[in-house]
Amino acid sequence: MSGEEYDSDMDYSEEDCGYADYYNTEEDCDIDQIDPSKTDPEYFVFDCLSVEEVERLLNESVESLSNSLQITPSLAKVLLHAHNWLISEIVSKYRSDSSHLLVISKIKPPHPPEPSILQLGRLQSCPVCLASQSSDKFKSLACGHPFCKECWSMHFEVQITQGVSTGIGCMAQECEVLAPEDFVLNSLSRPALRDKYQQFAFRDYVRSHPHLRFCPGPNCQVVVRAKEPQAKRVICNVCRAIFCFRCGTDYHAPTDCSTIKKWLTKCADDSETANYISAHTKDCPRCHICIEKNGGCNHMQCYNCKHDFCWMCLGDWKSHGSEYYECSRYKENPNIAHESVHAQAREALKKYLHYYERWENHSKSLKLEEQTLLKIKTRINKKVMDSSGTWIDWQYLLDATSLLAKCRYTLQYTYPYAYYMEAGPRKELFEYQQAQLEAEIENLSWKIERAETTDRGDLENQMDIAEKRRATLLKDFLENWPILSSSKRKTFF
Amino acid sequence: MTALPRRIIKETQRLMQEPVPGISAVPDDSNARYFHVIVTGPEDSPFEGGLFKLELFLPEDYPMSAPKVRFITKIYHPNIDRLGRICLDILKDKWSPALQIRTVLLSIQALLSAPNPDDPLANDVAELWKVNEAEAIRNAKEWTRRYAMDN
Repeated sequence: MSGEEYDSDMDYSEEDCGYADYYNTEEDCDIDQIDPSKTDPEYFVFDCLSVEEVERLLNESVESLSNSLQITPSLAKVLLHAHNWLISEIVSKYRSDSSHLLVISKIKPPHPPEPSILQLGRLQSCPVCLASQSSDKFKSLACGHPFCKECWSMHFEVQITQGVSTGIGCMAQECEVLAPEDFVLNSLSRPALRDKYQQFAFRDYVRSHPHLRFCPGPNCQVVVRAKEPQAKRVICNVCRAIFCFRCGTDYHAPTDCSTIKKWLTKCADDSETANYISAHTKDCPRCHICIEKNGGCNHMQCYNCKHDFCWMCLGDWKSHGSEYYECSRYKENPNIAHESVHAQAREALKKYLHYYERWENHSKSLKLEEQTLLKIKTRINKKVMDSSGTWIDWQYLLDATSLLAKCRYTLQYTYPYAYYMEAGPRKELFEYQQAQLEAEIENLSWKIERAETTDRGDLENQMDIAEKRRATLLKDFLENWPILSSSKRKTFF
Repeated sequence: MTALPRRIIKETQRLMQEPVPGISAVPDDSNARYFHVIVTGPEDSPFEGGLFKLELFLPEDYPMSAPKVRFITKIYHPNIDRLGRICLDILKDKWSPALQIRTVLLSIQALLSAPNPDDPLANDVAELWKVNEAEAIRNAKEWTRRYAMDN
């Protein structure tokens, strides 16, 4: 629908278009017709599913595979779990070499079992309990290792109690053959244990499925589904948790999953030192009065001497406000290669602290911004009570605050990215854009905190600039983004 | 206390009747699941001539779970730590209910003949074993003489 309209618009001259827009501001505007998958680097389609919906989804896959290969649903589950639920891949592998597929999926042993020594009606000793029983009391998996039924159920019971389900295998030494679901369930008599097994198996299936992820929110039952396992932002529609679809941790663009993991581990190891070194208060660089930060903005104005400075680098704010904001860029000592090991270690710590302090500072600012939001809400109430504007008139302040939080969040996650980036033109570009974003965020923060004296148009302008800077940075540096956009484009035409 | 499973009774009987050469495992008088074990240091190893005391305990769900084994005698070995805990796959993820006390103790004896410094439990010992094997072996022999002989 939108495409047609776009084409018809093309028939008009520039002026006509402008004229038409005057009457039809909502739908005909060119901006609205741009596909968000191409313009928004954070665009991601996902569904929040309930456990029942996911079970249905998984069962459909199981059924489809068991039908096309003529195998039991139970074996289909083992195959799907072992091969990330890629039905087509499993089918083609099965068709080309079924035996090999069954071996690597641990359904069959690599070597065919010895002819069974089981003879009907004869007494036989179970290698586990050492009791002699008639051979009809024995059971074995495809590997042919016979154990008595009682030992099998004991084995399953112990494994399930330890949280194992899809990974339960044969009891024989060095045998890797897995016990399929029906084999396990048939050996279990207690319903509670069967339920437990099925719960654990469901958990394993979801974890092995590339299109599914459990919501990490506390006690949240939601499973998120997306077409591709990308490191994109997901917001749970039940508990509102925001996380990365690929790794399940807090959303971390533009940093990628493995880098953020490395960074968080490093911070967990080093943060005590860093905390010790970077105190919570700083002295005013001019009058040296002790200042505690009580808002998110890094543009500080000393209460005592009215000096404007940057909380981060303690430099004069004038040098930030003008053309080039340099405070976010770490300047490496060029002669470091010739310095002693001790000096290099100091330099490494200095570099880490530079990024860590900024990471930590923006995280704190984000929290302080929550307080700003509360203050703004009470201020709006007061304004409305004093009849200076209606409640609706002041809503743009709330929008501005939530935008500020979004921008600051992204800014926070640019620091791990920059820390691990190799020096070079790409890093320079990144840090330039980061500095630009940071400058606009601080402007926005400053304006929001002084909203009464700031003009609404001015503030909305600032919001637009900050969001554009954020989107540009993400677009240029988000992992896989250029590749992804081209592949998406192909599917759209 | 629940009755002792047939498996444990049978294994204990066999350990008594046909002991493994170089290994003795005797159940405690008051607890049939607790074994006093003595392993002799294998020939041509730095532990040769030593008698190493261990304790072995069969947990409630044995043989579905592995026995718990620990060296009591001090030993200088990259896969055994200061507390005598042993890093051996069949005692952890590679445990199979078909394994027995006798096979476990044989594996531990084999570990003394073939230390594996690439999968260490005692890091400092493993490190020395890798960079200066001769010195590590000297240490192991010294510890064997000091802690595992004439007691």
